[in-house]
Amino acid sequence: MEIAGQNAELPEIRRRTRLFALLVLLVFGGLAARLFYLQVLEGDAFYRVTADSVIRTEVLPAVRGELRDRRGRVLATTRPSYNVQVVPSRLEEVTYRQLLGYLADHDEELPDWETFRERVAERLDRPFVLATDVSRETMSQLETSLESRGVSVMTEARRHYPHGPLAAHTLGYLNEVSAEEVRTLKEEGYRPGDLVGRTGIEKQWEPYLRGRKGFRKYVVPRRGVDPADIRIEDLVEGPTQVDSVPGEHLVLTIDLDVQKLVERALAAQRAAAAVVVEVDTGRILAMVSRPGFDPNVMSGRLSAEAAGRLFNDPFRPLRDRTLSDTFNPGSTFKVISALTALEDGILTTEDRTKCNRFVQVGRRRFHCTKAHSVVNLMQAVLQSCNVYFYELGMHPGIMDRLARHATEFGLGVPSGLGINGEQAGFVPSEQWHREREAALNAQAVGPQGFMIGHALNTAIGEGATRVTPTQMALVYAAIAKDGTLWLPQIIERIESADGKVLEEFPPRVRRQLTVRPETLALLRKALVGVVNDPKGTAYRARSPRVLVAGKTGTAQVGTSRGRAGELPPLYARLDHAWFAGFAPADAPKIAFAVLVEHGGHGGDVAAPVASQIAERYMDLVAEREHAETAASDPKPSLVGRAGPSAKVP
Amino acid sequence: MLKVFSWRKLVFRFDWTLVLGTLVVVFLGLVNLWGSVKDQQYLLFARQLSWVGLGLVLFFVIASIDYRIIARYAYVLYGGGALLLVAVLLAGKMVAGARRWFDLGPSHFQPSEIMKVVVILALGKYLNDTPVLEGRTLRHLAMPVVIVGVPFLLIAAQPDLGTAMMVALIFLSVMITARLRVKTMLGLAALALLAAAPIWEYVLHDYQRSRVLAFINPALDPATAWQPRQAMNAVGSGRFIGKGFLEGNQIRLRNLPALWTDFPFAVWAEEWGFLGCLVMLGAYTFLIMRALRVASEARDRFGAAVCVGAAAIMFWQVTVNIGMVTGVLPVVGVTLPLVSYGGSSILTVLVSLGLVMNVSVRRYAY
Repeated sequence: MEIAGQNAELPEIRRRTRLFALLVLLVFGGLAARLFYLQVLEGDAFYRVTADSVIRTEVLPAVRGELRDRRGRVLATTRPSYNVQVVPSRLEEVTYRQLLGYLADHDEELPDWETFRERVAERLDRPFVLATDVSRETMSQLETSLESRGVSVMTEARRHYPHGPLAAHTLGYLNEVSAEEVRTLKEEGYRPGDLVGRTGIEKQWEPYLRGRKGFRKYVVPRRGVDPADIRIEDLVEGPTQVDSVPGEHLVLTIDLDVQKLVERALAAQRAAAAVVVEVDTGRILAMVSRPGFDPNVMSGRLSAEAAGRLFNDPFRPLRDRTLSDTFNPGSTFKVISALTALEDGILTTEDRTKCNRFVQVGRRRFHCTKAHSVVNLMQAVLQSCNVYFYELGMHPGIMDRLARHATEFGLGVPSGLGINGEQAGFVPSEQWHREREAALNAQAVGPQGFMIGHALNTAIGEGATRVTPTQMALVYAAIAKDGTLWLPQIIERIESADGKVLEEFPPRVRRQLTVRPETLALLRKALVGVVNDPKGTAYRARSPRVLVAGKTGTAQVGTSRGRAGELPPLYARLDHAWFAGFAPADAPKIAFAVLVEHGGHGGDVAAPVASQIAERYMDLVAEREHAETAASDPKPSLVGRAGPSAKVP
Repeated sequence: MLKVFSWRKLVFRFDWTLVLGTLVVVFLGLVNLWGSVKDQQYLLFARQLSWVGLGLVLFFVIASIDYRIIARYAYVLYGGGALLLVAVLLAGKMVAGARRWFDLGPSHFQPSEIMKVVVILALGKYLNDTPVLEGRTLRHLAMPVVIVGVPFLLIAAQPDLGTAMMVALIFLSVMITARLRVKTMLGLAALALLAAAPIWEYVLHDYQRSRVLAFINPALDPATAWQPRQAMNAVGSGRFIGKGFLEGNQIRLRNLPALWTDFPFAVWAEEWGFLGCLVMLGAYTFLIMRALRVASEARDRFGAAVCVGAAAIMFWQVTVNIGMVTGVLPVVGVTLPLVSYGGSSILTVLVSLGLVMNVSVRRYAY
């Protein structure tokens, strides 16, 4: 390195370096002075603010909103539950054994001492919830005898369904968020131990129901510090207290009494579904899926045994058959076929067909239930004559016409209730059959394209057509209501915790069907005949008190399908029994669809259930009207008349 | 001809006071880190220990290579450092919205830290090669401004305003001792004032502006003012002799972010009180004074510039870090030399002290 010439600079550098040193001393002196001020002059004040105090945050839980029926009766609420919590590191074996003694009658399975120690081995200092929802008696016993020995009783809010399994699928249930979910839902305020709606309305309306948690931060002063000297605001970022906001209440369109009567009407069936819709509004009055489950059990700590029972049951109690399963509609679909024939001018009411128990198409016979002799459209619906509808099915282009009308009635698309992964069902078309053929041929499965037999099957509600009971109830409600297809509704309004109405949902028309009124009138007449004409397929289920209209259906069950192997063999071979209709036929109030899985004939099994529902519903309406009349026009009692202040006009 | 020392001469001329001062600060830093990570992450402490070990090895290695050899490669090192800064912008690990680090598996490497030393070397080389007897004017500043401007802009783009500001302050410190005319210094100050408005408007991010505003008026943004207030609470509550080692929980309980990197002095002040603070400040003062002393005794412009630069690194970082912990400066994320957690920071300071040692050993060599 060349250094010549620069040595002359060095004295000046030395001078300036000394100046820099002076700057360092001055600045560091300033810092020392600042430290002296903070630590020595103001130290005591800072110490008082902070002196070893611990900040605790108490989470203020939000009370979950209630689910209520349309008359305000509670279907799901929140109640206190007492959980036994232990701190493993403070718990001795003798205390644990004593604790097991106190909890001997408790439903939950409790681990023995060794298993318990294994389970908590890695978190001895963290509280462990041993038993949930113990009785008040147990709670008070524990509090008085074991509280000082590492056992405590914590109160938590627990979801409670006062009517047990009633409407369980529709209401849904809750359970704890998983560790994985906590990671993804953290932003929304979920923490370990929080409950989240898993199915039904509890899941779909979770954001409204859950409310918002609050918190309160407070200082626990130690070492004799006067709490008055401590300002929490100096220690905590942001607000020190945020009140929780309770969840909103949902008033459902479900009517508890109707729900109960439908549950009772289906009680004898092993697997079934029924949906009742208000004809004038499209509001759902009842939804029942059997077998059911108790959401109180599902929302608690489910034992492995109980979970196994529920999940392995071949009748699938957790499945919502009203919305999540689709079925062939069977003959209940014939109203669409009849409507297509009349609306598209394919047949008139005068056209007749002779039913000899089958029609022959190529080498295949398409059967009817019996030889109906000569039938017109009215008789064909009334007696559910397949042959008549097979003849209809032979008209060119009928598949697509059927598909168009079925789709207009809302089949093949979800009804819009949005809960429990509602299924769309399926409406086949010629095009679909052709595409399916192409796909199957590509897999070398063999020719399956559109054939006339597909149209014949579709015309009687078999083949590829799939519907949900909810969709069928809405179809029949539209027929009853002069072609008004409603958007089904299950939430009527949202109320705040203090009872203020926040939002109301009026009935909404999904569409006005383009069907002539005379066609609908004719169909309604035929549907009355199904139940009330001696030749009608549901004649045995007629009611002496209510004029019921509807259509039976017996949907064939494929032998190789799904869970047939798990079900009792004789049971699995039986067809699904359907009945869909409305009542009273002369002034319809409700429409309904009843499906009994593997029930057999619709007329024998489903129609009596529907009839019973209609009868009991009308009884209920009459009772209510009577009660309202009595309330608004009370008859003066004898005592009243004799009373000194009574004035008789 | 360059003379390479024999090991005997090297040991004989070693500046043991500088070594001792360095070891004292390193020791205080480790004690403080142990207190900070208590109950939490001993892995952090182990990593810091290994960085300190590596840093001390580098300290001795750098001290033993004649600094005039290092000066020959100053521009090459500068070019390499600038390339690393470009690379980190393109391929660095994104942490909290900033691209400052290369991900080296178990650890991270922050090239902007090392760049502080490289800038000093390049400046020293330039000043050494262009002696000006009559004092430097603004015209003479063009090249040094380029030398510092490139890394400044690249670091500011990461964005890492704290380190960019440090580079600028180190540059100013070196230049002030480089025979700048008074008029030139005033010109520089005017330029800085003129640049302030556009920098505030276009260079600073929202969060950086809010930190400065919250410093000026804490009521404007209580959330931003909260961090420094907590730090100040901790410092003040240490009082005269502190709460004792491992007894200061004020900072730890509040879970301040960047506790080990930005706020270690708050932990120290809380646990050791005013006396402890004086000890730490004293140790820094000793090291800085020692570096300036070596600078004033250096035999060439390069050696002086490197020593002033090393002193400036420590001086400005200590000032800004303690200033922000004690509430006299806004929070800008500057580490406390040899005390803050972080390999890049430790290595930078130990390498710069190694250079001071190098100059010190050779001040009587020719």
